[in-house]
Amino acid sequence: MQNLIFLAQAVPDGRVFGLDSQTLIQIGIQLLNAILLAAALGYLLYNPVKEFMQKRTDRIQKQMDDAEAAKARAEELIAEYKQKLSEIDREREEIFEAARLRAAEERKAIIAEAKQEALEQKQRVSESIAAQKERLKEEARLYIIEAASLMAEKYIAQTIDDQIQDKLFAEALAQLEEAQWLH
Amino acid sequence: MLNVDNIWVVYVAGVEIWITETILNTWIIMLFLIGLAVIARIKFKSFQEIPRGFQNAIEVVVEIFDNFAVSTIGPTLSYLAPWFFAVFALILFSALSSIFGLRAPTADWATTFALALATFGLMVAMGLKYRRGAYLKTYIDPHWIFFPMNLIGELAKPVALSFRLYGNMLSGTIILTLYYALTPRFVQIGIPAFLHAFFDVLFGALQTYIFVIISLMFIRLAADDNW
Repeated sequence: MQNLIFLAQAVPDGRVFGLDSQTLIQIGIQLLNAILLAAALGYLLYNPVKEFMQKRTDRIQKQMDDAEAAKARAEELIAEYKQKLSEIDREREEIFEAARLRAAEERKAIIAEAKQEALEQKQRVSESIAAQKERLKEEARLYIIEAASLMAEKYIAQTIDDQIQDKLFAEALAQLEEAQWLH
Repeated sequence: MLNVDNIWVVYVAGVEIWITETILNTWIIMLFLIGLAVIARIKFKSFQEIPRGFQNAIEVVVEIFDNFAVSTIGPTLSYLAPWFFAVFALILFSALSSIFGLRAPTADWATTFALALATFGLMVAMGLKYRRGAYLKTYIDPHWIFFPMNLIGELAKPVALSFRLYGNMLSGTIILTLYYALTPRFVQIGIPAFLHAFFDVLFGALQTYIFVIISLMFIRLAADDNW
């Protein structure tokens, strides 16, 4: 080992620039130094910190995406509810419209029925009046007949004997019966 | 201060290796950065959902760099971001180390070329991985006769990349060395703070950004034919 690596006693003078085997060796050493430094910094600092930041970025991005998705879902729900509300409004309008139409039809039917009933009532009243009128006429006629009979009876009683009286009565009765029959 | 001094000379299996000031300072910076990363790792266990204080600072650094790297290199090659994070940290803290009296490792061409070589290696590897034949075809585009020029153009990329950073960092080092060497003691209090702020902090941050963004663009250009 002592023969493999050892320090020399004499050290050559320094220089600013040189192009020889020592320059090549120093280039090699500096390249190796740079590689070692890059490996150490990469392992200890750069890659772990970058990975940490990347994970944090991903986590924040995921949270933002989740929030965005939740917002989209909420907006979807809002749209759905708005749609439902508009459908309900439309249905309500339809129900109102149908109710209005039905009410209008029912009103028409009620009015028509009332008119019909009034007409029938009027008809019935007219008929009743006509029957009453007829009855009163009949009663008046009978009363007149009765009054005339009485008058005639009194007159006859004063003027004619029983035989003529019976004859006249029989004739009058026959006439009355005939008249009643014709009615 | 201007020279890259040798601290030790080590023989490994008979091969002479100079352990320079640059390498030693790089190890110091690496220890500092790895120490910070270890502290962050320990505190990481208690990281909260809402960041505060130290956690916030760590997250800001990682997030800003990751966004910058991924937006430049594209999501497909985002797994290369940790490498460039280390390169970014190494170049920036190399520049800042000058404030504490250390010679910036990036003011040594060995460091900048090593980093540029890594960029070149990644560029070729990513080109072959994602475009396969189409990437190789760029070397003979528009005609095979252009192959030498295309090859030189590709090989010039790491060289240009390394010399840009090296030249800028060395220029700052030279200017500050000259300032300390040539000025009397009484102007070496206070004023150097502004020079360090300009050459180490401002230039350092700017050159770090330029090196990393050019590296990312080279790799993206090689791997993505739609870019």
